Amino acid sequence: MKQFKLLTLLFLTLVLTYSCSEDDSPTLPLGDYEKGYFITNEGPFQNGTGTISHVDETGNVTQSIFKAVNHEDLGSVVQSMTVHGDFAYIVVNNSHKVEVANRYTMKNVATIEGADIKNPRYFVVVGNTGYVSNWGEALDATDDYIAVVDLTTNTVTKKIPVGEGPEDLLVDGNKIYVNLQGGWSQNNKVEVIDTGSNTVVSTLEVGDIPNTIVKDASGAIWVLCGGKSSYSGAETNGKLAKIINNEVSFFDFGATDHPNNLTLDADKLYYSLNGKVYTMSTTATELPTAEVSGLDGFYYSVKAHDGKLYTTNAGDFKSEGSLKIFDLSDNSLKETIITGLIPGSVVFQ
Amino acid sequence: MKYTIVFFFIGAISFAQTDSIHLLDEVKLYGNFSPQINSGYQVQIFNDSVVNTKQQSLGNLLQSQANLYFKQNGNGMVSSISLRGSGASHTGVYWNGMAINSSLNGQTDFNTFSANGYNQIEIRKGGGGILFGSGAIGGVINLRDQIIFEDKLQTQINLGLASYTTQKGLIGSQYSTQKIYAKIVVEGNRSTNDYPYLGTDLHNENGDYENYHLKGVFAYKINDNNQIQLFATAANNDRNLSRTLTAPNNSKLKNTDSRLMLHWKNFGQAYNSSLKLAYLNEEYHFYFNKESSDYSFGKSSNYMLKYDFKYFIKNSLSLHTGLVNKYSTANGSNLLDKYRNDFEVYLLLHQKPIDQLQYNVSVRKGFSSIYEIPLIYAADIKYQWSSKFDIKANFSTNYRLPTYNDLFWNPGGNPDLLAETSTSGELGLGYHHKKMTINLTSYTIKSKNLIQWRPKTPSYWTPVNVQNVENYGLEFEVKFKQRFKKHAFEIQSKYAYTIAKDKALDKQLIYVPTHKANASLNYRYRNFTVNFTELYNGKVFTTTSNTQIVSAYWLSNLEIYKSFLKQQLTIGLMANNIWNTAYQSIAYRPMPNRNFEFNINYKF
Repeated sequence: MKQFKLLTLLFLTLVLTYSCSEDDSPTLPLGDYEKGYFITNEGPFQNGTGTISHVDETGNVTQSIFKAVNHEDLGSVVQSMTVHGDFAYIVVNNSHKVEVANRYTMKNVATIEGADIKNPRYFVVVGNTGYVSNWGEALDATDDYIAVVDLTTNTVTKKIPVGEGPEDLLVDGNKIYVNLQGGWSQNNKVEVIDTGSNTVVSTLEVGDIPNTIVKDASGAIWVLCGGKSSYSGAETNGKLAKIINNEVSFFDFGATDHPNNLTLDADKLYYSLNGKVYTMSTTATELPTAEVSGLDGFYYSVKAHDGKLYTTNAGDFKSEGSLKIFDLSDNSLKETIITGLIPGSVVFQ
Repeated sequence: MKYTIVFFFIGAISFAQTDSIHLLDEVKLYGNFSPQINSGYQVQIFNDSVVNTKQQSLGNLLQSQANLYFKQNGNGMVSSISLRGSGASHTGVYWNGMAINSSLNGQTDFNTFSANGYNQIEIRKGGGGILFGSGAIGGVINLRDQIIFEDKLQTQINLGLASYTTQKGLIGSQYSTQKIYAKIVVEGNRSTNDYPYLGTDLHNENGDYENYHLKGVFAYKINDNNQIQLFATAANNDRNLSRTLTAPNNSKLKNTDSRLMLHWKNFGQAYNSSLKLAYLNEEYHFYFNKESSDYSFGKSSNYMLKYDFKYFIKNSLSLHTGLVNKYSTANGSNLLDKYRNDFEVYLLLHQKPIDQLQYNVSVRKGFSSIYEIPLIYAADIKYQWSSKFDIKANFSTNYRLPTYNDLFWNPGGNPDLLAETSTSGELGLGYHHKKMTINLTSYTIKSKNLIQWRPKTPSYWTPVNVQNVENYGLEFEVKFKQRFKKHAFEIQSKYAYTIAKDKALDKQLIYVPTHKANASLNYRYRNFTVNFTELYNGKVFTTTSNTQIVSAYWLSNLEIYKSFLKQQLTIGLMANNIWNTAYQSIAYRPMPNRNFEFNINYKF
């Protein structure tokens, strides 16, 4: 009897729920690309176009979705893509523009371009304002900047001058951390921008060539610095910088070690070094000495997400690359997906 | 096998008799391109009438006349050749017999060469490492100044005006007597080159170019047996590098090349000796931003000595030997300061045992200060089946030495690279009758250890001897001449079927068209000449997985010339790409739309 009551309740609930949603407008899918994730493919450096691949929740891949929807090439060297609100902001480095598309349909709604977008790299959003790191003219060490974009009009309203080679950006409340990787040269700083005044409020010295930046749950900011390569003539070791309240502490790598691709999954940091992937806890006091076995590879990009590690490989750079997905619970390879040319990043919604 | 050939040479020498010998004019003229010592090869010669009717780059001339394939980074931009599906550094380019491919990258940019002012352009397809050294894998191309001691004083002025504010000017003078010869040619070309990209709102931004060429040829006939020749050229190419369909460009490339060569020819009754001393200098400056004064550069200086000696044991038997010494230095923004010294020797035996049959066997070995130069050998044969039919066949091993960029680029250069090696074979059938010529050639090339820049890590690339490639193909050529009273027709057509496969991937190499063809119709009536050329370039793959392509295209060009004043003055009108076809040579780099040229050539 009790069981019957329960069943009736369940039945009623279902009917009610059902009719409720029927009364409302039915939840139509927002677009073909509502679910799943994206891969940005740089494309050949000069003679071609970058593309976006989409992988749906069942693992089906669709290549070149921007072109399929808009019948136009995305442009030369797709550097990065940021999904925010209803929009995807696609940074096209060598075409000097940011394409704005509906994130669900990929329909192109605006293009941020002109003299104020020059060699753009990464894009972040705070409120209704976008921030784009720009290298400026090649070989000019003093014209690098963060372009401030009004997202209602998709126009640049201000340029915040920064040091040479602004790369990866990280939003922390009303602050933006800018990795100064060095662009065509080398640099060793992180600059902090206050989004209220849109000015640089502090400059922190980190290791040489800061390449990636993440924030952990405790609020600590981690900056992985590759160090100068042996062929730079003045090799320096890689460093992992931990920033708490603008205080920087360091974990030093070996003299000839040049790590990159820092990424965070829950309380675990992952990075790649010499064709291997390493992990360390955000509370660790020392760098790991042994790699994570099973994850080896010279990856073009590495991203941890939801207990999985997404690693891209550009192959010979003249044909399709691949994405390998590892389950981080047992470090086993779950899936290999063919991407476009030179897959530079995996972007989650 | 190697030893057998060496013994064969020794045997041939010891059994030789010296009977009366008459040195063939042909041999004097052609040097290492002589049809005699290349009897089993296809040697094609373009004469003055083809080379100098209008001003054009060497690349454009060879593409339209010889059915050769070029990859062009847009009109007037960097252009490299792929002969028989081989790489850009696998075609040797020679200037009066001296190798002039860049020591930095092993290639020749065919848009920095002017075809004008040379009397002949010789194309010899197939492996030619023995006579021509490193890089003669797909074939070789020679630019020749022909020196004839005759009483002559002639000046040529050629002016051209063309679409996209293109201006061309050339002035050349030749003065010769029975004893001396002097020729000076000055040429300049410039263009805004801002043609529209068909089907888009874009045009060829930042594509303007300007180039100047100066050349001089001087010769003195000491006596019937001795000649001294001096060749000099200087060229300055200043190009902005054009945009692509997806990206603007603001960079600029300047190339400066100068070459000087002294040649002593000595003929005896039974021998022919040639000593060449040359100095070749190449230099480039690349401005990533043309408005900035920052640039990167590379340069190389090459000192070369080449000695060839031909000894005629009898009319039907001759021995050819030579040595080449090349000392070169290079440096640059991304190059370590290095030198290298290469020394190579070769030996070739030519025999014509019966009138219908001639053959060559040959061997070459080199030594170098920095790498090992392989021993190579070759044999070729021509059999005249009947007055109309002939059969040609050849077999050769060849090599290409690593370049300065491959060895010493910083970062990435690999000083441990080996020479690339290849083996080629070819069989050709020819039919020649009064009005008709047909040639059919099939070939195969197997290349090993080809040098490729590969990523060691995503950010560190280094060249490695990694690629094995197999090429094979067919070449077909037909020529037909007819004359009705004062109307003369010449029709010719060439077709090339080319397979070039990466052995590891089992895929066609990128930028090698499987099908390429051309056809031309030449009609002359009194002082009128009409040339119509049709080109077909088959699709090419742009990814090593063969998933993306540049589409095939057809291109039609029309030229009309009229001569006045007993052929002294010729006026030409040309229309290129007459059907206004949108086409690309390299992906995302559109080529010009329909365009016109007006040309005046005056000789007095």
